[in-house]
Amino acid sequence: MATLPEPSVSSPAPAAAPGVHPRPLWSLRPASDREAGDAIVANFLLHWFPAKALRASLEWRYSLWLGTVSAALLLLLVVSGLPLLFLHVPSVERAYGSVKDIEYVVTFGSWIRSVHRLSAHLMVAAVFLHLVRVFLTGAYKNGVGRGQHREWNWILGVVMLLVTLFLSFTGYLLPWDQLAYWAVTVGTNIASAIPLVGEELRELMLGGRTIDQPTLIRFYVLHVIVLPGALFALLAYHMWRIRKDGGLACADRAVALPAPAEVPPAATKTYSLLGIARGTHPTIRATSVERPETTVSSVPDLTRRAAIVVLGTMAVVSILAVLVPSPLEEPANPLVTPNPAKAPWYFLWLQELVTDTTFRIGSFTVNGAFLGGVILPGALVTLMIAWPWLDRSPASAAGRWFPRSRRTQNLVFLLIVLLVLVLTYVGLFARGPYWNLYWPWEAWPQLPTRI
Amino acid sequence: MAERKDRRDFLVGIGIGAGVVALGGQGIAALRSLVPNVSYDAPTTVKLGPPAEFPDGMKFLPEQRLFVFREGNTFHAISAVCTHLGCTVRAEALPRVETKEVGGRPLKLTHRFLCPCHGSRYEGDGQNVAGPAPRPLAWYDLTLAADDGQLVVDMARPVAHDFRLTIV
Repeated sequence: MATLPEPSVSSPAPAAAPGVHPRPLWSLRPASDREAGDAIVANFLLHWFPAKALRASLEWRYSLWLGTVSAALLLLLVVSGLPLLFLHVPSVERAYGSVKDIEYVVTFGSWIRSVHRLSAHLMVAAVFLHLVRVFLTGAYKNGVGRGQHREWNWILGVVMLLVTLFLSFTGYLLPWDQLAYWAVTVGTNIASAIPLVGEELRELMLGGRTIDQPTLIRFYVLHVIVLPGALFALLAYHMWRIRKDGGLACADRAVALPAPAEVPPAATKTYSLLGIARGTHPTIRATSVERPETTVSSVPDLTRRAAIVVLGTMAVVSILAVLVPSPLEEPANPLVTPNPAKAPWYFLWLQELVTDTTFRIGSFTVNGAFLGGVILPGALVTLMIAWPWLDRSPASAAGRWFPRSRRTQNLVFLLIVLLVLVLTYVGLFARGPYWNLYWPWEAWPQLPTRI
Repeated sequence: MAERKDRRDFLVGIGIGAGVVALGGQGIAALRSLVPNVSYDAPTTVKLGPPAEFPDGMKFLPEQRLFVFREGNTFHAISAVCTHLGCTVRAEALPRVETKEVGGRPLKLTHRFLCPCHGSRYEGDGQNVAGPAPRPLAWYDLTLAADDGQLVVDMARPVAHDFRLTIV
């Protein structure tokens, strides 16, 4: 009976199978390029990154790292959302009480809820600022003749902004307080203002003709499963597109630099590329991407900055959550509309729009609910999605802040942003009881809260 | 050989088609199941109480989101649901009673209505006068219950602004 020889200590390690990484260990502080590459290939999470990153794309001042901030906030939302998922009861009778328990009874409950709420608010802001940055730097534009499709990623980004907003909307309904109830009332009535399909759409959203248990459970399932799932799928696709498009737009120029002169390799060494390509010389030709002055190893240069951004975001939110408590309005009361009834800040510009856009032509009335709540925001989203094809500026304008060739469109864009901000300001600070305009120094009249 | 390739193409097509039908069927069934077949609505015809219990002037019924007006033995009811986006309007008493021709008949206006959500304003007869409201507030049919003589509102039946229920 043949026995396998005992492996002796002195015998050389067997060669790894093709595609199997020989060393399970990797280092966040690699001593060589080889170790830096190992870290990317051998680590499940780091595999997300390329082995080499372009120096230009790591610039703080270019991207402001707003996408990473948004992703970090999403991570915080998942982490803080999980305990809330155990504690919140999605029932119209008990939702309010369960949120009150989270706030006043559960250990750390109030802090966890604050982390969740603040992350949500900050994520809306971060995603919006990320979109503003991408527009202003023309980062949805492609380099010349490089087969990129950055416009797809721009569309993905716009959709992700909408999903983020819808996640916020479905989220602040869950406490089933006054804010929730009247936000559902107004939000679904905006949907019902759409001609022909409006009423059916509203019934589908509510799960009936009135706001009740089916409504809460619909928004709950959207908030905890459907929308986060969609957002993660979109996020993965968004990141994959960045890789497929050759990195950030600002790095296109570094890639366009001439490749370093090819040094014929000495035929004495055996090379292996990820265990797939083997031979006596590298089978993939070096391009300028490999130039030491334009590229760095992702580990540690990219990972260090990403860690700083993620940890910084977590620190800011964690501390803010101690200082800023989360409000909870009175329990949902279908009998009394609060006065004034205000949406959260990121929807106030829409609340202003639906207020200001009802107009009459003779006996014909256009409802602001349709014009301001559906047509105008719809047109804005359509314009944003179509913009990469309407932007006629040269490819050289991609990945630069305020290039001369994109001055007009950047100004128009900033004007629209400013308009949205002004409407938000008016809604936030200048609207008092009965949605009347008050200057900041004017006192609101004392009105009974109930009739 | 060409014949064989056609058959393969055909089978691949069948496979893809079956996949599309299978997934599409699941999707349609899932979406259709979310369209409610039954709506457990509150009844639209509600007994509001004996007419004698209503004060002269206006009474707000929050449960029905309804204003009931009484002028002697004449009654009418106006909805409190804003025609813009469905918030509940609030009544504000006028400093002095005005009289307006409504539906060809004089009507004493004691209040006006203001919406807290987007600032729509309505006169005492429900006529929209300012803000985004596209239509006047709805007027609803009032009757007396045959069995106990209570005031009954039918919120599924809007009526014209000349409607008055006079109890003799």
